[in-house]
Amino acid sequence: MPFPTSTISRFLVLLALVWAGAVHPPAQAAQAEVRIGVLAYQGEQAAAEDWAPLAAALDRALPGRHFVLRYFGLQDLWHAVENEEVDFVITHGGQYVALESAFGASRIATLENPRFSSPGKALGSVVVVRAERQDLQQLADLAGQRLAAVAPEAFGGYLVALRELHDVGVELDDLGSVDFVGFPMQKVLQELLDGRADAATLRACLLEELAAQGSIDPTRFRVLAPQAQQGFPCQLSSRLYPDWPFVSLHHTDRALAKAVATALLAMAPLPGGVAWTVPADYQEVHALYRELQLGPYAYLRDTTLLARLKRFWWVFVGLFLILAAWVVHTVRVEYQVAARTKDLRKALAERDAAQARILAQQDEAEHLSRLSILGELSSTLAHELTQPLASIANFAHSMVRRLDSGRYTPELLAGASRDIASEAERAGGIVQRIRSFSKKRVAIRQDCVPGELVQEAVELFCSMLAPPPQVTLVDRLPRSTVVEGDPLQLQQVLLNLMKNAWDAMQALPPAQRRMDLEIGGDGGQCTIRVRDYGCGLDDAQMARLFESFFTTKPDGLGLGLSICKSIIEAHAGRLVAMRPDEGPGMCFTVTLPAHERTA
Amino acid sequence: MNAPLEPALIHVVDDDAMLRRSIVFLLDSMGWEAQAHASAEEFLAEWAPGRPGCLVLDIRMPTMSGLELQQALIQRGCDLPIIFITGHGEVSLAVQAMKSGACDFIEKPFRDQVLLDAVAQAVRRSQEQTSAALRRAEAGHILDGLSPREREVARLLARGLPNKLVARALDISEKTVHVHRQHVMDKAGVKSAAELARLMLEIDPRALD
Repeated sequence: MPFPTSTISRFLVLLALVWAGAVHPPAQAAQAEVRIGVLAYQGEQAAAEDWAPLAAALDRALPGRHFVLRYFGLQDLWHAVENEEVDFVITHGGQYVALESAFGASRIATLENPRFSSPGKALGSVVVVRAERQDLQQLADLAGQRLAAVAPEAFGGYLVALRELHDVGVELDDLGSVDFVGFPMQKVLQELLDGRADAATLRACLLEELAAQGSIDPTRFRVLAPQAQQGFPCQLSSRLYPDWPFVSLHHTDRALAKAVATALLAMAPLPGGVAWTVPADYQEVHALYRELQLGPYAYLRDTTLLARLKRFWWVFVGLFLILAAWVVHTVRVEYQVAARTKDLRKALAERDAAQARILAQQDEAEHLSRLSILGELSSTLAHELTQPLASIANFAHSMVRRLDSGRYTPELLAGASRDIASEAERAGGIVQRIRSFSKKRVAIRQDCVPGELVQEAVELFCSMLAPPPQVTLVDRLPRSTVVEGDPLQLQQVLLNLMKNAWDAMQALPPAQRRMDLEIGGDGGQCTIRVRDYGCGLDDAQMARLFESFFTTKPDGLGLGLSICKSIIEAHAGRLVAMRPDEGPGMCFTVTLPAHERTA
Repeated sequence: MNAPLEPALIHVVDDDAMLRRSIVFLLDSMGWEAQAHASAEEFLAEWAPGRPGCLVLDIRMPTMSGLELQQALIQRGCDLPIIFITGHGEVSLAVQAMKSGACDFIEKPFRDQVLLDAVAQAVRRSQEQTSAALRRAEAGHILDGLSPREREVARLLARGLPNKLVARALDISEKTVHVHRQHVMDKAGVKSAAELARLMLEIDPRALD
């Protein structure tokens, strides 16, 4: 079989030489150096031994060209291609496919090893375990086991086996661990024997080569999932891939590439029997990368999440359901809390509004009561106000008359003007008094001396009435005793009580209209008693005395006493009505908490 | 013939000091002589009869009211015209005052001209009363100078009786009546029986009954 091929090759080489010579003048190409990057996976020295004859053969085949071999590791070779430091590359099928995808490299020949029946099926992997590991029979049994391999980018030594594991459902993540031991590849077997790994992957045939050298005892190892492949002389755990290609690069001169391809095919087998043949089909390598989502197909890893989703969909669905349930629960609880908070707020707001309404009504009633007292006293107030107004008018008119008649001196006019001013102030004072009495105001709290409070109320009351009633005031309380309250409100209560007393005595002759006010109490409390000698009240009237809108007066509103009572109660006191022990009339008693004035 | 009257004196009684002062000031600006009193009691203590004038009186005062003062003055035979000053809504009091002979009432607040007019009118009335009283006193003095017989003759003559009927009524001679008549006319300073009658009525409105 090699002979006919060789014959054809030589013929082709001759043809190529004739053609190349026609296209490229030898003068131009004589000194041209052609760089060949070689993957030296076992070190430069080992590689040089293998490949130096090739360079020499090419130099011979293509006179005028000088072929230089440069040895690289996988990464460095990649960079050399990227930087266009080499014109051709010799590497394994795995890297070739990657270069093809990345830089548009193309194979022009594939290595042909006489040991293998086909250069397209020359590379495979074995997965070995220690012979005694009976628990490991199939590739699928490796899940959770420790794997030893030479290097992550090794093709026959690792990736090929990885694809087989992938095919039986064992992904990289499913393995207990993967330990990369580095070159030489046989170190993985030592790992296995030392118990640091449960399984190891190797390039197919290495096991046989080592056994032939006597480096290992093959009986200590067992090949997992052995595959029978016709025409393949070694044990195998995987399918087979093409042998190493000779690769032309994108920037490589096409004519040169063609000349080299021709020379390779025409070349006699190198020492060891290897030769170059027509390029093999590397689709299987593409398929490997695609399945493992590596190299040119690494972008497929972007879908890893999707892949995991597919694999663990029930976990995701479960998690999602739990999450959804939690969200629903949370939202529901939040909603209920919000609804109840809203209800609570509403209830509180309603209560506040009701309180405000009650307060406003109290204020309004109190205000009404003041106005009603004011209304009842309005004629006397009007009288009081008329006095200064009449005086002012008199003074003013007189001054005009005097100016007309000449009966004046500057002193006289000045005096009259002063009088007018003072009368105007007096009128203003009266108006102010009415206003402050009728004004709605915010309740205040301050220490008040009961004696002063009552005295002022009596004076105010008497100033509003003519003839003023006879009021006797007895103050038994020391001036150091004070009550806390709103003086105006308390005076309003007193005015109300005095007004009631006065009204009750309208039927009496003026001389008999009198009322007694008495201030008493002890340290803790103060009592103010208002006694009249009027018509008094019957039992039915007594019972309803403090009700709102109950009145015995034809023009009364019936608010006075009910408001008095609420004012006194707001001061933490009591308002009590009773018939006096002897004599006619009524006796109203205000009791307020009192304390000694602090210095 | 009439003696000149004393100038009028206006009394102002009001418990409000400033109002009192302003009224006096107003009256003074028109040339009236005015005297202020702080209360009814004070006025009663200070007042002396004789001078014409009037009383400007606040109807509402604390101890003794205007109405009470009016009654007191009536009891004392004082005919000083009274102008009441009343507050709003005291019409009933004012009516009572007018019934008791008050000259006028003014409601506060009042226009100055109203008060001045009322005062002028009251003073005029007072002056008339005073001059009438003077004349009455004078006539009384005249009649006091007549003999009892002459007084009788004068009374009958004033009734318009002729000498003859007077003589018959008194049972004296007509000639004697004529002599008495001459004496009466001379002493009284009147020229006719009609003038004599007016004189006598001034003293006593019922003198001719």
